Amino acid sequence: MAEIRGEPSQLDVLLPRDLAAASTRLILTRWAAGAIVILATAASQRLLGIILPATGLYVIGLFILVYNTALSLLAQRAASPDPAVYLTRLRRLVVLQVGLDWLCMAVFLHLTGGITSPAIVFLLIHMLMVTILLPGVSSYLYVALGVGGLLVLAMLEASGALAHYTVLAALPSDLYRDPLFITSQIVFFAAAAFSTVTLATGIMGQLLNRERQISALFQTTRAVSSSLSLHEVLDQLTRNAARALSTAHSSIRLLDETGETLELAAAYGLSDAYQDKGPVELSHNPLAQEALAGKPAIVDEAADDPRLQYARQVLEEGIHSLVVVPIVGRSGPVGVLRVYADQPRRFSDADAQFVMTIARQGAVAIENAMAHEALKRAETERAQFVRTVTHELRSPVGGAQSLLRVLLQQMSGELSPSQQDIIQRVETRLDALMSLINDLLALAATTTSGFQEKPEAIALTAEVRSAFDLRATEAHEKNIELTFSPPSNDVWVRSSHEGLAHIFGNLIGNAVKYTPNGGRVSVAIEPRGARVATTIADTGIGIPEDELPKLWQEFFRASNAKKSGMVGTGLGLSIVKRRVEAYGGMISVQSRVGEGTTFSVTLPICPAPVS
Amino acid sequence: MANILIIDDDPDMVLATRLCLESGGHTVDSAGDPAEGLKKIKAKRPDLIVLDVMMDSATAGFQFALRLRGPDPDPAMAHLAKIPILMLTAIHSTTPLRFGPDDQYLPVDDFVDKPFEPETLLKKVNALLKK
Repeated sequence: MAEIRGEPSQLDVLLPRDLAAASTRLILTRWAAGAIVILATAASQRLLGIILPATGLYVIGLFILVYNTALSLLAQRAASPDPAVYLTRLRRLVVLQVGLDWLCMAVFLHLTGGITSPAIVFLLIHMLMVTILLPGVSSYLYVALGVGGLLVLAMLEASGALAHYTVLAALPSDLYRDPLFITSQIVFFAAAAFSTVTLATGIMGQLLNRERQISALFQTTRAVSSSLSLHEVLDQLTRNAARALSTAHSSIRLLDETGETLELAAAYGLSDAYQDKGPVELSHNPLAQEALAGKPAIVDEAADDPRLQYARQVLEEGIHSLVVVPIVGRSGPVGVLRVYADQPRRFSDADAQFVMTIARQGAVAIENAMAHEALKRAETERAQFVRTVTHELRSPVGGAQSLLRVLLQQMSGELSPSQQDIIQRVETRLDALMSLINDLLALAATTTSGFQEKPEAIALTAEVRSAFDLRATEAHEKNIELTFSPPSNDVWVRSSHEGLAHIFGNLIGNAVKYTPNGGRVSVAIEPRGARVATTIADTGIGIPEDELPKLWQEFFRASNAKKSGMVGTGLGLSIVKRRVEAYGGMISVQSRVGEGTTFSVTLPICPAPVS
Repeated sequence: MANILIIDDDPDMVLATRLCLESGGHTVDSAGDPAEGLKKIKAKRPDLIVLDVMMDSATAGFQFALRLRGPDPDPAMAHLAKIPILMLTAIHSTTPLRFGPDDQYLPVDDFVDKPFEPETLLKKVNALLKK
């Protein structure tokens, strides 16, 4: 049989909180039991004048109260954050309780008349208790233990090996030695115990089953709402479907684009050999056809069901029965969910209906995840396309720029001043086109998955300084006072050289570009706790207040920047923002028209790399 | 005055480079792909090679340079490995494309960004020729 992942045995016991509640109830009841033993003994003796082995009974009553105190202390200490540990402790506590109770019960029966004791019926209650609390073990074992114990007690008393106490004076004094009485007591008791326990086991089984189904449905609902990964969703669904029906094998097959082949999309507890059994084509697979037509298909015995496409492989896998249900999405069936069992005739119509419910929930999750993945793919393709196009655009523009520059340098002969002016204008337009292409390329690169830069720890000061130095000439030409305040200790940020060069090159470049002659641009790096803020403040033209929120939009340029005659694409800041956010940082801006603008980039500090 | 070979598949780029270098007094020949380039290098042994990065593949220029003077050079071409190579590239300044550690060692002498500033190109060419 295939390797079974998951932990099916856990499903056969009560949930920890139920077991804990039952254990608490048992302890509370036992206080009453202990007290009643003592009080009833006293009352029987004093008020009714019944002759009892009172000392022994008082001792039992006290013993019950003492061990109950110990148990309630143990119960308080059983709590553990690990549910598996908690469950184990609770189970041990219950076994201990049951063991002590049965011991007391045996002694109590002996002291109240053995086989003639009117308290025999209490033994039934004890059997019922274990059936409910420890459903993992066969309840008939407890019946055998109880009946056997009673028989041994009766035999020991009858043979004289153990003293006999007659409690009810009205009964014949040698009744406990009468074989017919002993036999009838034992037989009737056994019959009562057997039927009580059978009924209880049945009810408990149903309850556990219901509990398992509710839990599986709950898990499915949670999976539907918590994940957009198709792989995770399918994995959860197969697991939940198998658990809900208490089996260890299930699978999901989804229809491919042709709508003819069902591709394996997820498998739970199935061997690799079985998973690779071959293609499941609708035309050769009557079971899948039935299911996709909308109704579940049940196979009771794989050995003699002609509807199986891979009967030999199914039997080799040890599978005897299976249920196949459709997974129906908004626009029709998308696949099938199958649950397998090692035994024949495992699945009822109710089981099939229940798996249908899970499949219905699953269909929503599968469709959402598929849509999400298609969206992501489309996004990547779009960015790839933009990248290819921009690369193709760069070559001709670059060629033209190079030719014009050579021409302007008079390297191919003299130019008249008016020719020079025209070529200068063409060159300016081409430069603008080239920067637009470069920005588009950078924008595409920030959105193309699979083309992401690998972030590494980079010393911030050097990167900001080189972006700063690049603008020194321009600032000098415009008589702008350019100042840089590095931090006293350098900090590292998880980023890339290109990214930082782009972020600070753009922000410092803009500051110099939009600051009139004689102005000031100051750049400062200030570590603030776990983050580092780099501010770029200028005394430039500023940004109108109502336009600030649109500043990060692609292709947006402030109205006064457009009027200034400066060339720009309106892409720079939106790329800067994406990059800053990709590094886990934030960017903010403050500005007043005519006074200046301050950009602040806050990035998380990371540890210095070990070199 | 030197003999310079331009290897580039973009004829406009070849023309621009040629005009620029000729105005500096150099003699210029060109090849449109790496194979033709290799033939001309063997036949004429130029004083300097101006090499484009992206030709028929995105890294054709790198591969060509590695063939000439990589860590495992072709012995038949050992005498050609001393020719200085100036690489024309649009890759390293404007795109996030980066090559892995194995490609970091690029056996070229200098880079010029595309589109180039004619003065920068001439300056770098002359500097390499003086070496």
